[in-house]
Amino acid sequence: MDRIVFVAVLTLGLLASLNGGLSMTQTAARKGHNPKLGALLGAVTGLVFTLLAALAVITLLPGQAILSVIGGFAAGMGALALLRRALPDRVTEQEALPSGAALQRNIAARRLQGTVLRALFFLSIALAIVMLAILMWTIVTKTIGLTAVQYTVQPEDLVVNGEPVNRPLDELSEAELQAVLADNARVARLRVFVLQNVIEAPEADWPTLSGQPVSRVLKNNEYPAELADAAFNTLDEAQTAGLLALNLDRDSLQELVFDEIIQPQVVDSWPLWTSLTQRDEINAVVAEEYPEAEIVWRSWVSWDFLSSPLDPRKADDTGLRPALIGTLLVIAITIAFAFPVGVGAAIYLEEYAGKNRLNQIIQTNISNLAGVPSIIYGILGLAIFVRSLETFTSGQAFGASTANGRTVLSAGFTLALLILPLIIINAQEAIRAVPNSLRQASYGLGATQWQTIWHHVLPYAMPGILTGTILAISRAIGETAPLILVGGATYLTQDPKGPFSIFTALPLIIYRWTTLPQDEFRNAAAAAIVVLLALLLTLNSIAIILRNRFSRRLS
Amino acid sequence: MTEGYTNGRFAIETRTLHLYYGDFLAIRNVNMRFERNQITALIGPSGCGKSTLLRSLNRMNELVPGTRIDGEVLFHGQNLYDPAVDPVEVRRRIGMVFQRPNPFPKSIFDNVAYGPRILGQRNKAVLEEIVERSLRQAALWDEVKDDLKKSGLALSGGQQQRLCIARALAVEPEIILMDEPCSALDPIATLRIEDLMRELKSDYTIVIVTHNMQQAARVSDFTAFMLLDEHRAGELIEYDRTEKIFNRPQDQRTEDYITGRFG
Amino acid sequence: MEMPDQPIKARSVLDRELTVLRDNTLRASHMVEAAIERAVAALKNQDVGLAQQVITDDQAINALRFEIEGHCYRLLALQQPTARDLRAIVTAIHIVVELERIGDHAAGIAKLTIELAKEPLLKPLIDIPRMAVVGREMMRDSLSAYLNWDAEQARRTVARDAEIDQLNDQVYRELLTYMLQDPRTINRATYLLWVAHNLERIGDRITNICERVIFMVTGEIGEIE
Repeated sequence: MDRIVFVAVLTLGLLASLNGGLSMTQTAARKGHNPKLGALLGAVTGLVFTLLAALAVITLLPGQAILSVIGGFAAGMGALALLRRALPDRVTEQEALPSGAALQRNIAARRLQGTVLRALFFLSIALAIVMLAILMWTIVTKTIGLTAVQYTVQPEDLVVNGEPVNRPLDELSEAELQAVLADNARVARLRVFVLQNVIEAPEADWPTLSGQPVSRVLKNNEYPAELADAAFNTLDEAQTAGLLALNLDRDSLQELVFDEIIQPQVVDSWPLWTSLTQRDEINAVVAEEYPEAEIVWRSWVSWDFLSSPLDPRKADDTGLRPALIGTLLVIAITIAFAFPVGVGAAIYLEEYAGKNRLNQIIQTNISNLAGVPSIIYGILGLAIFVRSLETFTSGQAFGASTANGRTVLSAGFTLALLILPLIIINAQEAIRAVPNSLRQASYGLGATQWQTIWHHVLPYAMPGILTGTILAISRAIGETAPLILVGGATYLTQDPKGPFSIFTALPLIIYRWTTLPQDEFRNAAAAAIVVLLALLLTLNSIAIILRNRFSRRLS
Repeated sequence: MTEGYTNGRFAIETRTLHLYYGDFLAIRNVNMRFERNQITALIGPSGCGKSTLLRSLNRMNELVPGTRIDGEVLFHGQNLYDPAVDPVEVRRRIGMVFQRPNPFPKSIFDNVAYGPRILGQRNKAVLEEIVERSLRQAALWDEVKDDLKKSGLALSGGQQQRLCIARALAVEPEIILMDEPCSALDPIATLRIEDLMRELKSDYTIVIVTHNMQQAARVSDFTAFMLLDEHRAGELIEYDRTEKIFNRPQDQRTEDYITGRFG
Repeated sequence: MEMPDQPIKARSVLDRELTVLRDNTLRASHMVEAAIERAVAALKNQDVGLAQQVITDDQAINALRFEIEGHCYRLLALQQPTARDLRAIVTAIHIVVELERIGDHAAGIAKLTIELAKEPLLKPLIDIPRMAVVGREMMRDSLSAYLNWDAEQARRTVARDAEIDQLNDQVYRELLTYMLQDPRTINRATYLLWVAHNLERIGDRITNICERVIFMVTGEIGEIE
């Protein structure tokens, strides 16, 4: 028998077995037999007959897979029905209600049913937990592991004044580090280091700064007096390196040398389990393919990862700062828009609106909107926020300078529309659950409708509303399709700065990184997933804390 | 029977009062005058319209959509159902205590202060004084004065009901309506609230709906007996001083109900 | 289990108890009525044995009074009667107390009979037995008014008390005449006066019973004149 058909028949056989076990236990008890034996008999009958019948059908009529599956199941259920009828009745008197031994059998049968079902429910949750654990493992295993790191320039090969240094980086003095920089880096690069690490000027200002005298450029830092009036871009390697040495401490200098001269690069990486268990094989592979590489433990989730900008080519250098900021900005706008509007709509529908036909229709439509695929919301957001409302979402109406409507604002509004039905429905449920006696007490004291809602209904419903909001936000954070359609970038050089910036988001770069050729980007994607989950947990925890505070006030 | 009558001996009066839920007539032609600073009890079998009548005295019936009134409820000479009258103001001057104690899920202080606060009183000292006065009037002050921040829900059933009474007293109503206030309480708590009612009588007019005939006999000055007629509309059968009703009622139906031979 | 065939009526316990109360009260009144008749018969026939019997039987009347009274207190405590039930029970208490006292009066006549039997009758007795007959009729009427909730009958019975008072006056004047004429009759005459006095008191007590019955029916309490 074909493997798929076998699995299908087996599944249905197990179903028949379950049905048999549960139903036979009652029948056995009623007819005077031991309920546990009855259950066993029913279970075995269901399974065996299903399998045998399916086998018979597929043997007699080869190729009729569906027929055999259905036939097997029918046979199994039929066999059970016959068994129930055929089971000999050992009970002599028929009382209307059982007592004595018959009562005990009946109770045992009912308990057995309960136990079986309870075991099934437990299995369901165990299955869910196992699958979640597998999911988490596949992610976490890629974020920590061994990597083979190769250097562009080996530390030992560093040349100072024409001679190799031959000592580990830690042992070099500041003067030596300065010499290393002067000898091994191009002057343009050194100037960039000064502008970036010493002055920390924005990239846009670099051209203007370069032409200015040193005293101006480094007006808040140190420089040799003799260079004060020289134009910055006329300094040579030695002088520029000297500026670096003056203004950076030894550790920063060493870091500069390490990052820029030595330039480590990850050439291969292994998941956590393999790293822990197959160290020898890894050593062998590295010795063969990358003889000069070092094997180093690396956690792909690190502070550098969170705070560095995106690098499109090198996975080991890439950070996700722009995506993180982008996600935070978008979610902030989503919450700020969806929560008040959603809760307000729910208050109107539950407290103010009458129970007429029109409101019924509105209610049904909101429920339907909750089920619309998220990509449709993306199309909607594209049409409305990105195109029609371009002057608003691009910020041109407010004087900002984004060229088009593919901004954080559009994304935020689109996602807000996505989760709005969820928030409304959930808030309505929470408001409906407020006991009417509370409202009556408030009205009885001469409060107006709004006072009753604000002082009593909303605070009482708030824990429920927040719970639903948590769920909705959790959904919004991970949405990718709408963001793609609304114009989220998968690579950005700069961080999004405000609502009118172009943006990227965590789901988008995760998507991008999993499609890039280099294997190491898979590690980076796993790390980004971990960051996303951590962000989700943080937001959820905040909402849970808020909910608990409201709950405590109620009790 | 002149308009000015309700300013004097009678606190509130109904005239040819009919109440409809949609098309269904729930109360038929009730004419009653409730004496000021007296306790009037409404008794009758379940569903006979006593609660409906009570709630129509302070326009709480309007919270159910579709209710309609024919006739008048006169308070200080004014028909409460006149379109120019604001129900919010009515409910401030005619307060209500409900069957199940329903304190707000807030502190004891905030429960009692809620009424004054929504009327605009913000001064802390004034609120504290109002809260203390109301709790004293409700005979609850001594039991809770040490911890007014405790949640209202942490009190026992009888205490919660007294808290609800204090809450109603805080807005200084003239009339207090009580809808079976003791039916969810144990006998001791019930008797304490009956004592409280007798004390409150000197400053307020009280109308109480009760299932408990002994309670009506113990506590009320006047008793009104209601029954459903053949169309299931509630009507007033007999209304007289309590000692008359419970000793020698005029109507045979009243006597049958009181002696328990009803139905 | 069989299907129950009748709906349970409200207060069936109380109704049963009230019926028992009425029956007992009626029984007490019969005992007292018999006591009056026999006491006066003993007087007429100078039958000491019968008089003795009346005195002994009075204990049974007393016992029955306490039994009925106790029953009433139990009903008051346990059944929380109101309105007519309350009035009926309170009236029953008053009635049996009066009946017991009437019984005492009858016993008093019997004691006087025993004393009078030591000498021959002063004169044939006409008015005194007549008083007793009226008294017994009044008693029957008052109990009937009680059982039938008939205030009118109670009022009429009260009016008949005048007859007993009138007969009492007649007896008094006649015996006075005897005593004035012949001092040797003073002893017997005086006893006979007491007998008449007892019978007159019996009439008053029956009037009290009727006032109670009127209260029970109308809810108004007060003297009837």
